Amino acid sequence: MKNKGIIIFLLILTVIIVVVIVGDYVSDRPNRSRPNPFAYDVEAFKSVNPDLIHYKESKNFRIGFQEPAALAIQNKKIYVAGDRSLKIIDLSGVLSSEFNLPGKVQAIEVWDGKVFLAIDNRILIYDEAGNVLDEWQPLKENSLITAIAATENNVFVADAGNRRVIRFSAEGEMRGEFEGKADEDALHGFIIPSPCFDLNVNDENELWVVNPGLHAFENYTFEGNLRSHWKKTGMTVDGFSGCCNPSHFTFLNDGRYVTSEKGLVRIKIHKRSGEFEGVVAAPEKFTEEGQAPDVAADNQNNIYALDFDKKVVRVFKPKNSTGL
Amino acid sequence: MEDKSKSKNRREFIQSGVRLSLALALGSVSGLALSKVVKDDYVWQIDPFECTQCGRCATDCIMSPSAVKCVHAYDLCGYCDLCGGYFKPDANALSTAAENQLCPTAAIERKFIEEPYFEYIINEDLCIGCAKCVEGCTSFGNGSLHLQIIHDICLNCNECSIARVCPSDAIKRVKASEAYHIKGDFSKNPES
Repeated sequence: MKNKGIIIFLLILTVIIVVVIVGDYVSDRPNRSRPNPFAYDVEAFKSVNPDLIHYKESKNFRIGFQEPAALAIQNKKIYVAGDRSLKIIDLSGVLSSEFNLPGKVQAIEVWDGKVFLAIDNRILIYDEAGNVLDEWQPLKENSLITAIAATENNVFVADAGNRRVIRFSAEGEMRGEFEGKADEDALHGFIIPSPCFDLNVNDENELWVVNPGLHAFENYTFEGNLRSHWKKTGMTVDGFSGCCNPSHFTFLNDGRYVTSEKGLVRIKIHKRSGEFEGVVAAPEKFTEEGQAPDVAADNQNNIYALDFDKKVVRVFKPKNSTGL
Repeated sequence: MEDKSKSKNRREFIQSGVRLSLALALGSVSGLALSKVVKDDYVWQIDPFECTQCGRCATDCIMSPSAVKCVHAYDLCGYCDLCGGYFKPDANALSTAAENQLCPTAAIERKFIEEPYFEYIINEDLCIGCAKCVEGCTSFGNGSLHLQIIHDICLNCNECSIARVCPSDAIKRVKASEAYHIKGDFSKNPES
């Protein structure tokens, strides 16, 4: 009789435990989320044909920044800005030097040993030892500098806030500005819904500006007159999607474009003509819904990506040893 | 004579006591009413910067359709032709054809402004708060589309059934005088 009571008690206890476990399993707690029936599905565009991937990740190095900001490469050195400082690293990832800055860096360019930095919407020029060489006047209200490109006598600054490109002399004298407007139907001026507005000068001294709202690359004379452009809209691997792509770009030493996109985060290469050539890093390489990495390239056509989410510099090497 | 005086005093005491009680009651009721008018109540609202577009606002609100709706921060919007919040990722054309629209209830109206700008208007009656457009806009645009609890629909339950299951704790009690958290300040989210 006594044993029977114990057995009944244990049975009831077992039933209660099972009910609690099952109840917990089927409960609707936040950490037991059901699949979202309204999910925005871009999975189909994340997979890339392996034959189209022309690069492989060869190494990456931590840069020790909580908030990495911008990346540039010049003379076999990597210049990485973040957390109110600048680090100069050799191509193997060894830190050469580091110096503090007066604010957060918005954009970086290195030309002829001079480091151009956009901080608080003004350009500051440093040497590699951290000495201030020059400090220009801040841009006007509502400005937001997102890119700098320097040539021998000119410095071009992309101002996303006022949707314009400003041309300065090497001494900081403003020589002109343009908003990318042209008579052609295809060109409406720069459309910049978010702070993604990049520009660069290629191996033939041509100024190329991204018009992200139109998914276009536009080539301007230094005076701001349109010479040519190409564009490609689409979620597929050969196009640019959303409102603000490509977010960043750089040139390889032969003038091909390396583009970095947000939304569907990926890095790709386009030929000089604009035709899609191949993929450097597919979306699976990056954090889902992460930021578009800043990109730079060395003379061997290795591509360096500043991964803002993982806070590392990632190096991608061509699978073909010729770099082509 | 003495008895009469005593009786009068008692009567006066009772009368003044009743008067005082009435005055106190009236004062309390008035104070309560005034505090109801002046006091800042609390309501449920979504922090758009915390929202992860999980879809639960559409499925877990006790209202049908949900009291959560998509709202549009027009001053933030890029008025893009290719809007990530309007078009399906595999849209075959940038047109208003139903097969190209991302919204499951066609609650977003696309209106031509001038080349190449388009305005996107939310039809609140059709919106079910599924956040599909919000996810598209946040990932591929600048996040001008976002969710808010609409207070003329919300019953302001003691325990919000969406807040209970929200995986990012984006739904919080806020002062009724600041009932809406509309986006529009880039400083909160530098690169969306």
